[in-house]
Amino acid sequence: MKFQEELKESIRKALPELDVVIGWCGSFDPLHATPHFIYGEEDIEKLEISPLNVHNLATYLPGMRGKKVGVVVKGCDSRSVVELLQEKLISRDDITIFGFPCTGVIDQSKVKKAIGYVGNVQSCDMSDESLVVVVDDKPHSLKLSEVLAEKCKSCRYPDAIISDYFVGDRIAKKDPAEPNYKELEKFEKLAVSERFGYWLKELDRCIRCYACRSACPLCVCRDHCIAESRDPHWLSQENNVRDKLMFQVIHAYHMAGRCTECGECQRACPVDIPILMLKQKMNKEVLDIFNYEAGVNLKDTPPLLSFKMEEENITEKDW
Amino acid sequence: MTLVKYLKSTDLKSWLAELAEKNSVFAPRYEGDSVIFAPFDPEQEIYTKSAATVPPKKTVFPQSEKLVDFTYHKDPENPGKTLIDGKEVLPQGTTVVFGGRPCDVRGFSMFDRVYLTKETTDIYYKARRDNTSFITIACEFTESTCFCHWVGSSPSDPIGSDVLAVPVKGGFLLTAVSARGETLLTSKLLLEGKPKVEEAEEVLDKVMENLGKAPDLSKSPGKLLEVFDNMEFWEKVSAKCISCGTCTYLCPTCYCFNITDEIQGLKGSRIRSWDNCMSALFTMEASGHNPRPTKAHRLKNRVGHKFSYYPDLHDGIISCYGCGRCIKSCPAGVDIREIVLKAIEFMPTVVEE
Amino acid sequence: MSTKNLYLPEIATIQEVIQETHNIVTFRVTLNNEEAMAKFKFEPGNVGQLSAFGIGESTFVINSPPTRMDYLQFSIMRSGEVTGKLHSLKAGDQIGVRAPLGNHFPYEDMKGKDIVFIGGGIGMAPLRTLLLFMLDNRDDYGKITLLYGARSPLDMAFNYELEDWLDRDDLDTHLTIDAEFDGWEHEVGLIPNVLLDIAPSSENSVAITCGPPIMIKFTLQALEKLGFKDEQIVTTLEKRMKCGVGICGRCNIGTSYVCKDGPVYTGAQLKKLPNEL
Repeated sequence: MKFQEELKESIRKALPELDVVIGWCGSFDPLHATPHFIYGEEDIEKLEISPLNVHNLATYLPGMRGKKVGVVVKGCDSRSVVELLQEKLISRDDITIFGFPCTGVIDQSKVKKAIGYVGNVQSCDMSDESLVVVVDDKPHSLKLSEVLAEKCKSCRYPDAIISDYFVGDRIAKKDPAEPNYKELEKFEKLAVSERFGYWLKELDRCIRCYACRSACPLCVCRDHCIAESRDPHWLSQENNVRDKLMFQVIHAYHMAGRCTECGECQRACPVDIPILMLKQKMNKEVLDIFNYEAGVNLKDTPPLLSFKMEEENITEKDW
Repeated sequence: MTLVKYLKSTDLKSWLAELAEKNSVFAPRYEGDSVIFAPFDPEQEIYTKSAATVPPKKTVFPQSEKLVDFTYHKDPENPGKTLIDGKEVLPQGTTVVFGGRPCDVRGFSMFDRVYLTKETTDIYYKARRDNTSFITIACEFTESTCFCHWVGSSPSDPIGSDVLAVPVKGGFLLTAVSARGETLLTSKLLLEGKPKVEEAEEVLDKVMENLGKAPDLSKSPGKLLEVFDNMEFWEKVSAKCISCGTCTYLCPTCYCFNITDEIQGLKGSRIRSWDNCMSALFTMEASGHNPRPTKAHRLKNRVGHKFSYYPDLHDGIISCYGCGRCIKSCPAGVDIREIVLKAIEFMPTVVEE
Repeated sequence: MSTKNLYLPEIATIQEVIQETHNIVTFRVTLNNEEAMAKFKFEPGNVGQLSAFGIGESTFVINSPPTRMDYLQFSIMRSGEVTGKLHSLKAGDQIGVRAPLGNHFPYEDMKGKDIVFIGGGIGMAPLRTLLLFMLDNRDDYGKITLLYGARSPLDMAFNYELEDWLDRDDLDTHLTIDAEFDGWEHEVGLIPNVLLDIAPSSENSVAITCGPPIMIKFTLQALEKLGFKDEQIVTTLEKRMKCGVGICGRCNIGTSYVCKDGPVYTGAQLKKLPNEL
């Protein structure tokens, strides 16, 4: 990326005042990136900005309170930072935000589907439009648009919303003007039995590792999660799809109007369960009722974290 | 003379259907975008190209299983008194698992040293272990996350398997590697295997070439203890860990569990379910004290257990078979190979006077 | 290999409940299966898992000695869900018992030696089984000193036998509380300080100590000052446990599983383990 060197310069400038800066670097194969913790000058060179940088690094911030942390954010990640600040889960004084114009990240599941088998990736060359992945000496040419994460296709905030350092040229806010819930709307049209059947089938393979919870930047109950709690004892530890669904429903409810749809829950899921849809459903309702979108404006209070005597769109008296 | 048979890929489903007449049969298949082990279903395609997303650990060590059923009831002679009945719930039936990989199946030998010792026998584990056969596919391809050859194994390691299936043109060469394996190879669908033996050997030789040279991990037990108190080391290597349990739940050798009670009204069950040492609750004591209070302490225990404590207790055998799932499926890209190598290479900084 | 079910508790009946302090109760239990009760064998220091079915299990030391087999005694401090439920039970109620588990005090190695017991709070429970065992085999041991401390007299368990312990000629008993209390006739002061005042000789002696971590820390320092070597000190550890038989994987300190290889450790053994208490 063109601005990668510029970003390194900014980090170099800020690092003496910080305990650590979190960015990304290469991982176990050329098709993967991994979060990269920069403690000193020697770590800066490894930083790489690429469409492989799927991880939302804001996830680390609530667990690092008390430290001076720099964090590199994509547009969507910056919304998580905004939400964390709104909820006072992190302190603005403790974090330094590095933003850049993001053109989207790659969905590994889509690459896997397109190529078939990606066990031994030898190289991965990316341009603005395409990528060439060499697996077992065989090159596979893919259009970037084909393997872009779904969230990126309708991204409305490619530039970090909040930043102390911004490198590269801003991409103007893109269409559509409203969040895109077309896929969800299709699903909503199915009969209840079909929708329920869908979730029972998808969640059956859940291994209850709770990576969805741990990867979520806004899942902050941590050691007091209802997944394991005995008091309240809402979930059984039996291998029972209804308990798995119950967990996802509770998670989604707690995320209503807070979730910025970064999709980390779904990306982290080792068995690819499409759980982002549950959070999108809640956000769609919040948008309808409160005309609110999470993590967009630092001055807003999320609607379910505030209380009004009279809500404009909730007309209890007309029931 | 070793029993060898040739199975045509086109006969695979018919063969598994035969085996399914007397056993529960599990085979790998796509569910969504992941490959998992599911009860054999002739309507569904079986995936045999590479290791499944989730290993077949659950066939011997279920994600969750009942240990004891209990009931509270009134004493008929003294209605003021409540009595308790507790009954063990033992697993029944035989199972055949097709399509695990050597690293998946050898994992159970790690369990055996802990679950089936001279002093203690876990009868639930034993019942499943004794009644589960493995038809294992040797690996024809290696992945960038594979490191079975670092930890004393190989893409055709037969330990723990009953039949080893080597992919050859048009099917598999099946070799019985246990007495039980021979009884699995009696089907009329199976053809004479000898003509395919040479081809199978070539497949296995080629894959070994691809694996490259393995680093020496024999010093890992001592080296990991040397860095035990170096929390800066552990904080750095665990920095990107998000404390989920994916690595442990997908690991063929991770055997830790939790025991919890579930009760509805007067009836309930004591359940054993997978647990994971990445969770703070794993070691949290009732007093609030936690001997492993941070993710750095917890990752240290996971790496330490596999590459130091377990080998110290069990003749130097590393409790990891290099399947690489913890690397490939980690949402944050934590690489256990990197951590072990860093510990082995770690040199304390010499402070100059 | 054994075919015994490691996880199936024996059903036991609580014969007597003693309210020791505001947060400690003692159960005296017998196994319902008379044959199992008659055959039951254990060693001082062994622990058991008590079940409140529907809630779960928790680990407690058997604090009665193997020389007195009318019942098995467990003392339970209220601290979580299981102990909360156990505290609600009465005489005649039933619980599950998985015992004996773990290792035991090396009492054979202590024969012919002077013994110093140092117990703090609920930490007196594991010492009680060994103390009573030694009193029942009195000739095997030299001088026995007991220092038992609690926050206040109200936090002191086993009140029903303290008089006897104080009266005995063959036991040198010292009781202490942290701060002055109306009517208290014994020592006042923190256990490590009182221990330094009593100053038991370390020669041909073994010190056995159990209590809260902070007390253990300073008691070990005091013992060192008194000349006790690591191998002359014995203590018990506590960890979160589930299976109790060294399988489930949570109670290890390096290679040592506290449920199976412990809970009893000598100071010398502890020094060899990684620092993860």
